[in-house]
Amino acid sequence: MEEGPEGLQFQSFLETDARDSSGGGVNSQRGYIPDRPGKSSFWNVEYYQPYFDIDTKTVFRRCYLTLIPKANYISNHLSPADLYGPFWTLTTLIFSLFVFSSLASSIAAYLSDPGAASPTNPIEYDFGLLSTAFGLVYAYGLGIPILLWLGLRYLGVGEWSIVETVALWGYGQFVWIPVSLLCVIPVPILRWVLVGLAFLLSGYFLIVNTWPILATADQKAVRLVAIFLVLLHAALALCFKVLFFSYYAVKEIGPKDPIPDPGPTARAF
Amino acid sequence: MQRPEDSMMTPLTSTSRFIQADDDDDLDEEAIPGFSHPGMPVTPTSAVSDKGKSRATEQLATLSEGSQHPRTPLSGNIGSVPNGAPQSARQTVGGVRVETRQTGVDTLDEPVTTTIGRDLLSIYTKLVQVLYPPRGGASREVLRDWDLWGPFLFCLTLGILLSVNASASQSLGVFSSVVAIISSGSLVVTIQAKLLGGRVSFFQGLCVFGYCVAPLNVAALVSTFVHLIYVRAPIALAAWAWCVWAAVNFLDGTKIEQQRIFLAVYPLLLFYFILAWMIIIQ
Repeated sequence: MEEGPEGLQFQSFLETDARDSSGGGVNSQRGYIPDRPGKSSFWNVEYYQPYFDIDTKTVFRRCYLTLIPKANYISNHLSPADLYGPFWTLTTLIFSLFVFSSLASSIAAYLSDPGAASPTNPIEYDFGLLSTAFGLVYAYGLGIPILLWLGLRYLGVGEWSIVETVALWGYGQFVWIPVSLLCVIPVPILRWVLVGLAFLLSGYFLIVNTWPILATADQKAVRLVAIFLVLLHAALALCFKVLFFSYYAVKEIGPKDPIPDPGPTARAF
Repeated sequence: MQRPEDSMMTPLTSTSRFIQADDDDDLDEEAIPGFSHPGMPVTPTSAVSDKGKSRATEQLATLSEGSQHPRTPLSGNIGSVPNGAPQSARQTVGGVRVETRQTGVDTLDEPVTTTIGRDLLSIYTKLVQVLYPPRGGASREVLRDWDLWGPFLFCLTLGILLSVNASASQSLGVFSSVVAIISSGSLVVTIQAKLLGGRVSFFQGLCVFGYCVAPLNVAALVSTFVHLIYVRAPIALAAWAWCVWAAVNFLDGTKIEQQRIFLAVYPLLLFYFILAWMIIIQ
């Protein structure tokens, strides 16, 4: 973290929103955005620049720290929160799901019948998977945190900003990217273990960081939201497994998969 | 009798002569990057790469006066614009910033083929500037005159090439997803560069990132006819590297800080890689 020529100074981190910290925040001293013209309107690009005022090292650190889930991620590492990381984590996840699942399916097709991939009979790819991945990942990674934030706001729990919520969810899905790469290996038991591991890691990460917020609510019933979040996350993990990691060669390696390839009709939506 | 030179010198009164200046341009004109090609003659292409809206009326006036006086030699300012480059002048008229351009080329009564040919030539010139940027470029005039015809053309070509090879049930989906990826992708990448503090005009970014798709077109064309994966994959990857290199070359000039340049480049890697991947597995 660079310090300006004026040296050390006291900083308040109570307001961790990037927009509010224009006076003494971390980013304003880096000088990445030279001439910020005061308050710009909601529709301007300049309005969002503070949320993208981040450097490469910070993004990487925020990404890999989600693999070691600890409480207080928001206050320790997301001050101020950015929107670059969540957005590109989710977009990378979409593309890696598509790329690796099509790679896995072509490997599976090749292993099952090497002669099938001839010029006269090319392997079929399911481009519908790309739009499915788009809808699923953006709905979960952007829609759920926004809904959660709105719901908690309605219930009077306003301890975090909407940017922090979106950033928490976006970075929290980072673990799926290496998992989607490893799931190319056509061993059913390994895929289930990997998906389960990723589910536990990211689920724990989300819950342990959402819990303090939920616990501040006056009504105890609000804490039940955590169960709902866990169920949603499990549904996401199952969707990933069934939709994207279910291609097998004819001869599967290891024990049989309890949920086999749903076939083209199930994957077509 | 009014000579052609005089008609060009008359005070600017008619609004039809103006085109509105680019909003983005007045941010930081000198910082907007571009490329130049020392070996490339600037004369015909850059002169015509701006659209003919403002010129047409002027030339109409000039011509009609000239035809009223057939004895008047038409050798005034028309041909004597230095280097043939458009002379753009900016001024404020009635509170609106306007830009006028004089090119000295008559575009009113030429055949349609000439017009189309000239537009294609301007697309070609920009393509060369984007994909083969010369070192230490001084003039950036060619890319300042952005157009979206080139990106549109390359986007459609790639979509068609990929959908021709896809099976009948998927060709429509492939075409629409290619068009959607290219249009929304270059939009997002441009906004991203702006958000990271890059000094880039919005439409210029769209234009350049669209032109950068062109190498992938070549790869798609090759893989339409060659189905061997050993040939297709290296060509597509090489085209991908070329795209990224050209786009990074452009981003280099946008004054994004060194610690953040990777953040600006990464979306490009992703954007072009997904297109290259669709070519490989088609």
